[in-house]
Amino acid sequence: MKFLIAVGSKDYSEPTLRVGMRVANAFKAEVTIIYVGPKINEFTASQVRLAQERMDQWDFDRPGVEVLNWAFNFLAERKYILPVTIESGFRKNTLVPTGGTRAELYLQGTVCKNVNLILRNGDIISELRDEVSSGGFDVTIIGGSQKRRMAHNLVQYINSSIFVVNEFDYGEKYHLLLPVDDSKSTPRAVRYGMQIAKAFDIQVDLLTVSKTDKFGAGYRGASERAAKLLKKVNIKHKIHLKTGDPSSEIVKMAGNNHIIVMGVSTKNPLVKFLTGSKPLKVMEESSCPILIVK
Amino acid sequence: MLGFSNQSLTNFLFWATRKKWFLITLLLGYVLYLLPTPEGLSDAGYRSIIIIITALIMIISETIVLPAVAMYILVMEVYFGIGTPNSIARSFMNDAVFFIMGSLMLAVTIVKQGWDTRIALGIIRLTGNRTRNIVFGFTAFSAILASFIGEHTVAALMLPIGMTLIRNTSKNGENIPNLSAILLFAIAYGALVGSIGTPSGGGRNVIMMTYFHNFDLSISYLEWMLLVYPLVLIQIPILAWLLTKNFLPEYVRLDSSVRKLMIQVARAGDITGRNSLAIIIFLMVFAGWIFLSEKIGLGTIALTGVFFYLVGGFVSWEDLSRNTHWGVILLFGATISLGSNIKDTGAALWMANHIVDSFGAIMHTMPFIGDLIIAVMTTSLANVISSSATVAVLGPITMNMGNDTLHLGLVTAVASAFGYFTAVAAPACTIIYSSGMVRARDFLKIGWKMGLISVVLLIIYANTYWPLINIQH
Repeated sequence: MKFLIAVGSKDYSEPTLRVGMRVANAFKAEVTIIYVGPKINEFTASQVRLAQERMDQWDFDRPGVEVLNWAFNFLAERKYILPVTIESGFRKNTLVPTGGTRAELYLQGTVCKNVNLILRNGDIISELRDEVSSGGFDVTIIGGSQKRRMAHNLVQYINSSIFVVNEFDYGEKYHLLLPVDDSKSTPRAVRYGMQIAKAFDIQVDLLTVSKTDKFGAGYRGASERAAKLLKKVNIKHKIHLKTGDPSSEIVKMAGNNHIIVMGVSTKNPLVKFLTGSKPLKVMEESSCPILIVK
Repeated sequence: MLGFSNQSLTNFLFWATRKKWFLITLLLGYVLYLLPTPEGLSDAGYRSIIIIITALIMIISETIVLPAVAMYILVMEVYFGIGTPNSIARSFMNDAVFFIMGSLMLAVTIVKQGWDTRIALGIIRLTGNRTRNIVFGFTAFSAILASFIGEHTVAALMLPIGMTLIRNTSKNGENIPNLSAILLFAIAYGALVGSIGTPSGGGRNVIMMTYFHNFDLSISYLEWMLLVYPLVLIQIPILAWLLTKNFLPEYVRLDSSVRKLMIQVARAGDITGRNSLAIIIFLMVFAGWIFLSEKIGLGTIALTGVFFYLVGGFVSWEDLSRNTHWGVILLFGATISLGSNIKDTGAALWMANHIVDSFGAIMHTMPFIGDLIIAVMTTSLANVISSSATVAVLGPITMNMGNDTLHLGLVTAVASAFGYFTAVAAPACTIIYSSGMVRARDFLKIGWKMGLISVVLLIIYANTYWPLINIQH
């Protein structure tokens, strides 16, 4: 599997990196860390490029390189990754342009298998969408400090699962909240939820919400199938059946001590654009980390 | 839905959300097109105004790429019957476009020669290691050099020198925000202050020279310098003073960092014969601009220099091509074409009359108010779109706002250089911002003060010094 972790700055990206990397390791995934810098005005793009070439000549790193360098070192120091020092490596941090505003970063004298560093400039949604589509990523991980509107757009337009690391508190004892129903996206969400629960060693709350008092066979069946799977791999779990508005019930139950994992809405994209969807509402209203599985 | 897959619908929605301003602009253009032509304006004139409004929104919102805006302008001029395909094509390419193309290529060549190390040595020898002196040196040198070779070239050349001094001063990577700001703003604003000094200081100056020619006015390279260069010299100490007042540097002297810079520069080695030849070619270009530009045009001379650099192997075509934004050149050509056509269709005069009428008697009793309106209008637009595009679009309008076309044109050209307000207001600002060593809010902090001072100075200068210099044109 391939995971993409988007980092913004040293001040806000620590939880994104820690949680993202833990999840990625649970899936034994190849990880790419990406930094998207501000869009360079088209009028000045060629002159800025020229100035940056001179900066390279004088051994200056371009903005964004220091953030990627920090992210790499941060993960190495906490043993999330195991870099190898190579004496014959690059003499200095080296950016290799790969077309458009995209460049791959190779750090001075070190390398790590299955970890890539990418620097881009431009509109963040467009750049992440392009990276995901060209790199074939399965999951994109972003920080909760980044605008909610951005997360909303990512879920809408990016062709991968999205993990938004909202306000993660290391001291908190988290549970995993897995809303299940009879939709097509539930089985995949359950598989993802299972892996994460194993990695974090946490209990799973299986939640099924019906708008009426009746729980049809589809709803009950989905919940039971998920429970059976969890039991098989010895993950502690509880089944919750609730009545009400699904989004509100999910947000209520999540509180601030759950990691939510839910399937993407299977509605038509145009309907989703106009009326929204359950996962989008949950993402907007909840303050917990949330993974929307596509 | 209608046979479209979910993925293609998602792709369409993504496109529509990214291009919403483009769609709104098209709708606005269509609504304007349906409205009756205002009184006193020809149909062609009204339509050219519609193109200006829609093109400006597209440029400001960055909703489509610049070459697409250029193509939009050109094809709409033909579709709207503003000109024939051949006349539009002719108005698109002229000496100003040649100059912009040539100066962008000269910038690549000059920057690639690595003259920055020599420049660093020259400045430090003159200024010593006192921070205030270095700031003055950076400001003065950037301004004087930019007056001849353009602000973007100077900013690209000077940036690594400034950054090296900052890096050498910083202990264990600590932030030194005031020193960073003071040195980098001295480069960017110094280059902007200087870029008005001669016609070759910026594409906008050459566009104005082309418009002077269209208005049957003639002004030489030296006459431009005589009229404008004193303003550059006045602004240099004011800018240096303003910077030191606003960003109190953390270090009064830069002893060790200057020493380290000197060592780094010394490693660059001695000047070779090839270095000297590159300088000689540039000096010949410069001499050509001064003595021959009236006859053969600034653009032709710039391209001649590029020709010699290419033939002599000083720069490769790949480097030139990669670092020259052809889309921007296309857009400048298109805006110049639009500017010429709003003059020819009478739209420029109509808009100028409306502006003058709306301010009424005040403009007649206090003539400098006209300069103030032009300066504010030009500065505002130049901070949002490029200064060259501003002059191309506004020039024909402002030059119709009074009787002294030369005076009005020069005020427009000079005010278009006041791109101080944001990190993207001018290439020099974007270049220093791209270093990551200055913050976006610093531009606002110092920019409005510099902008205000520049506008006031320009108005006083234009209404006191220019009347004394009676240039026959």
